[in-house]
Amino acid sequence: MGSVAFAAGCNAHPERHLYTLVRAPEDMVTGEPTWYATTCRECPAGCGVIAKNREGRVIKLEGNPLHPVNRGKLCARGQAALQGVYHPDRLLVPRLKVEGRWKEIPFDQAADLIHRRAALAGSRGEGRVALVSEVVGESLLARFSDTLRPWRALPPVIFEPLAYEGLKSAWAQTVGQPVLPGYRLEQADFILGFGADFLETWLSPVEYGRRFKAMHALADGRKGCFVHVGPYQSLTAANADLWRMCRPGGEAVVALGLIQGLLNRGAGQALPVPFRAALNDVSARYRPAEVARQADVSEEDFQGLLHRLQAAKRPLVLPTAAAGQGNASATADLATVLLNVLLDPTLARLDFSKRHRVEIAHSRSEVQAFWQQLAKGPLEVLLLNHVNPLYSLPADGAMAEAMARKDLFKVAFTRSLDETAAAADLIVPVAHPLESWDVYESKSGLPATLQPVLGQIDAAPGIGDFFGALGEVPSGQPAGDYRAYLQRRLAARYGLGSEYDWLRTIQDGGRFESGESSVAPPLRLDGAPVKALADLLAQSRSATQRKAVLQVSASLRFYDGRNADHPWLAELPDAITQVAWQTVAMVHPDTMAANGWHDGQPMSVATARGQVAVPAYGYPGLHPELLVIPMGQGHTCMGRYARQQGINPIVLLEAAVDARTGQPDYTAEITGLASAGNPVALASVSGSRSQHHRRIALETTLGTPVAAKQEGLTINDFPLTLPLPEGYAPQRDIYPPHDHVQYRWGMAVDLDRCIGCEACVAGCYAENNVGVVGEKQIVKGREMAWIRIERYQHPEDPARLIFLPMLCQHCDNAPCESVCPVYAPHHSKEGLNNQVYNRCIGTRFCAQNCPYKVRRFNWFDWQWPAPLNMQLNPDVTVRSKGVMEKCSFCVQRIKAAHNRAKNEQRTIRDGEVTPACVQTCPTDALIFGNLMDPESVVRKKIDDPRAYQVLGYLNTKPAVIYLKKVVQQA
Amino acid sequence: MEILITTFSLLTLVTAIVLIGTRGRPGRLFSQAAESLRHMWDNRGPIFWLATCVVLVLGFLFFFYASPATRVGAAQPIPFSHQLHAGVKAIDCRFCHPYVARSIEPGLPPVEKCLYCHNYIIANHPEIRKEHKYFDTNTPTPWIKVFYVPEHVMFNHQRHIRKEIACESCHGDVRRMDRLKGKRFKMGFCLECHRKKQVNLDCWLACHN
Repeated sequence: MGSVAFAAGCNAHPERHLYTLVRAPEDMVTGEPTWYATTCRECPAGCGVIAKNREGRVIKLEGNPLHPVNRGKLCARGQAALQGVYHPDRLLVPRLKVEGRWKEIPFDQAADLIHRRAALAGSRGEGRVALVSEVVGESLLARFSDTLRPWRALPPVIFEPLAYEGLKSAWAQTVGQPVLPGYRLEQADFILGFGADFLETWLSPVEYGRRFKAMHALADGRKGCFVHVGPYQSLTAANADLWRMCRPGGEAVVALGLIQGLLNRGAGQALPVPFRAALNDVSARYRPAEVARQADVSEEDFQGLLHRLQAAKRPLVLPTAAAGQGNASATADLATVLLNVLLDPTLARLDFSKRHRVEIAHSRSEVQAFWQQLAKGPLEVLLLNHVNPLYSLPADGAMAEAMARKDLFKVAFTRSLDETAAAADLIVPVAHPLESWDVYESKSGLPATLQPVLGQIDAAPGIGDFFGALGEVPSGQPAGDYRAYLQRRLAARYGLGSEYDWLRTIQDGGRFESGESSVAPPLRLDGAPVKALADLLAQSRSATQRKAVLQVSASLRFYDGRNADHPWLAELPDAITQVAWQTVAMVHPDTMAANGWHDGQPMSVATARGQVAVPAYGYPGLHPELLVIPMGQGHTCMGRYARQQGINPIVLLEAAVDARTGQPDYTAEITGLASAGNPVALASVSGSRSQHHRRIALETTLGTPVAAKQEGLTINDFPLTLPLPEGYAPQRDIYPPHDHVQYRWGMAVDLDRCIGCEACVAGCYAENNVGVVGEKQIVKGREMAWIRIERYQHPEDPARLIFLPMLCQHCDNAPCESVCPVYAPHHSKEGLNNQVYNRCIGTRFCAQNCPYKVRRFNWFDWQWPAPLNMQLNPDVTVRSKGVMEKCSFCVQRIKAAHNRAKNEQRTIRDGEVTPACVQTCPTDALIFGNLMDPESVVRKKIDDPRAYQVLGYLNTKPAVIYLKKVVQQA
Repeated sequence: MEILITTFSLLTLVTAIVLIGTRGRPGRLFSQAAESLRHMWDNRGPIFWLATCVVLVLGFLFFFYASPATRVGAAQPIPFSHQLHAGVKAIDCRFCHPYVARSIEPGLPPVEKCLYCHNYIIANHPEIRKEHKYFDTNTPTPWIKVFYVPEHVMFNHQRHIRKEIACESCHGDVRRMDRLKGKRFKMGFCLECHRKKQVNLDCWLACHN
């Protein structure tokens, strides 16, 4: 009976539907992508993106090459923005809390409700309506104000957990305005950082990654120098030539010591004498011996640093980390600003015309004052736009009181049910930035536009439209039409009069040519900054007071926690610990050894505010008194991927902020540290911290003479063997050479440029439909990443790290090809190592025989819960259970290039094919091309004396050629 | 085909029943009809199951190989005739499948394209009214897919059209079919031609990835 049902129901022709469009958009060709320029809003940096749209769905984001902030590159968080659009737990309809339970209501009813409550509150008096918003563009802020004005609301509060109060205040003292200028790292020859994690979260990581490598990568046998002073070796510090460890809170002492030292050595002659005298007075105490005592930096090391800084021609001093330490950070930030003034009174390496947008955020003290006002004041309606203070602020009496007020009508505009939305009375889902019209000034005077890059997948309106509909718009335009509003504003502000100007701006993703020249505002050399420094110092407590300190760091993957519900980001391992999904505390190995702990040992960490249980991870890149926990995880809600995943260290912090600057303190004194239960298995993807003397990630010292060509057969003298006919040597090859026709694809990986930021990994997940396996499967070693960043410790100094992107090497003598019983790994005529999925029977012999561990086996059919499946790239097969897969060098892009070249009857140009990892690498560490073309960039890279092949002595003849990292004496 | 299957199966069934009824001697059906019928009645259980099995096998064979749907192709939501449009009216394939020479996908006509003509031609025919309804209610037409390649095959229409491979060589004589008879392409079908023309036989670079 079943057979008849089978035959009648699903006969030999599976009947699937082909749906037609009703009306065809003019720019859509089925099977071909359409690209739309817009702006990333995953963090306040505001990088430009171009979004790839296929058949109406956005499937990939890439950096916008025209955008001056990121110039075509994108970080991991930007790549994962897609998962905010297609998140399966995204809120779709407004929810009203009725007697403690959610009731779904339509949008117009929600708008009506807000309007009625706010208008009523406004009619009763001033200051009864308030808005707390994330950092937004000028236009949206203006629209907020337009809507709030008739309700006589308080001015909008711009809340960012990482608001750079200390740095802003330092510039306010020095140039008179609380600004966040751009730092021109590329123009410096020596960078001294005091914690600024500019490769991870600080201000604009993609931009600073590029600028940093512009000065720090090897060029003409020289490279700039970067020294990082701080208690914790973050990813940024791991990329420094020297990480100089200091005691937690000791950065200011070192900076003041440097000021003193420079003054003693006669720096800053151009500055007025009284200014120098005042500066000398304030820093007089900080002699090398005092620095050594307070900051735990030996006199000798300190003198070396001072000498190096003074010797530099174009030095630049960077402030403290994005997640600061209250007064200590504020002091250090001001000291770094004054150091810059002292070293170069013209401030030539600072850009005051292109300032970071996050400077509009209110300081933490202003935000706290707002909560206090809220708890007591007459406020009746509170609007919250994409902020999550209940998660990202330490428990504060006033905030909890305000949010618990029954008579306060709290409206959350958000897409995910986060902690703050859960405490609201009404949740209004709004469109994702990728679905909305907007303008965001990534930097001052640099308007970047946002446009919908896909059709809406739900009915949620854009927040600009929703606010427009809430209030009356004076000019007679349809109330909700935010796009027209933007067009008018842009026309007025930037003189984009014609429709053509507007369209071009939208097409380019913004208006990037700017006539404003960068002139540093006049310095206030009247002694005010020095006095401010003295005041800060008067309030500071000695760094030696605390014996055990917890530091909460901003996360490369989750920023402040707003991206924690994106599964790609959770699946990416942390760059330093290599642990995915879980939150681990980095503990100094001495502490681990003293307690007999190993990695994965749960500890209970207690501070005056609370206690959490978190697994330990031994990390030598810490001051022994320090323990670091990254922020971002441990959400109590926020959807299936974030809920109860990891821990939230914010609960351990004090709410108190630095009184003068409002800088919050992301450190706390540890009052108790004890083992808490049996060790847990870490979801670590790290095979080993050590290379075990195998030639994997290599480095060379700057100025090392070029070694003679090697011709041996051992691990140390095996020659570079290209996957080309010239690499064939009958005396050591058992396989005949391959006949490659015209193309032999290969990649060059410059380890000197790789910063370990994992943008490539996220890009690969997005491009190649790589499955997300989750914490449990990673513990079992079943992660699916096609490219990974390996991190190794230096054999002599375990605190020194080296990063190595590892992907399929597309070997000429591929060990995987020779062991497959069914010839599923197949060597293509262009040198690619093809994995033929429909031929694979899953013996896993190939993975066993691959020395690079880049082959991934599908133990299950990985899930893309709807609508996440709409993100899948239609050009790449989704692999099913029981099949081996691995990096394909983005063969779909190679095929697309072939297609274009054949249409135009030419060969593929150099640089025409860029795999997803190469495309997004912020520092251009990866280069892809045709090894058979003697003129190609990649072919020329191979002639670099730094070139080597990972495990090349196995005679696998990899097509991925690595260039050694160049280390130098700082 | 179905006549042969049916005849053969029914003959088998009748022979089996007769053999059971006459205990292996069919001649007895005539000489001792009453007794044979009684035997058949005694064996009604096994005969019932036998008959059921034969009917089911018959049903399977019929639906799998010989149902009308497998001969003329699936019934579409609107009985669109390729014979009429492409054959009689000689409308170029690319009018409705416009991207065939510039994309991997040939493209399907949006609903509005049907109405370019059918706003004027037999605009009030009941089947055209259906198309109007799709347009008015903003509903995509759920056409039934007839030509099918597996998911792991990345077929590129553009390359084949540019190489002047006629549509008919894969899709059959569309101009003479009312309802398209579908085809489930197998790898051998592709390889035969790729070998003959000495073109790309690489796994990934040609078809899969």
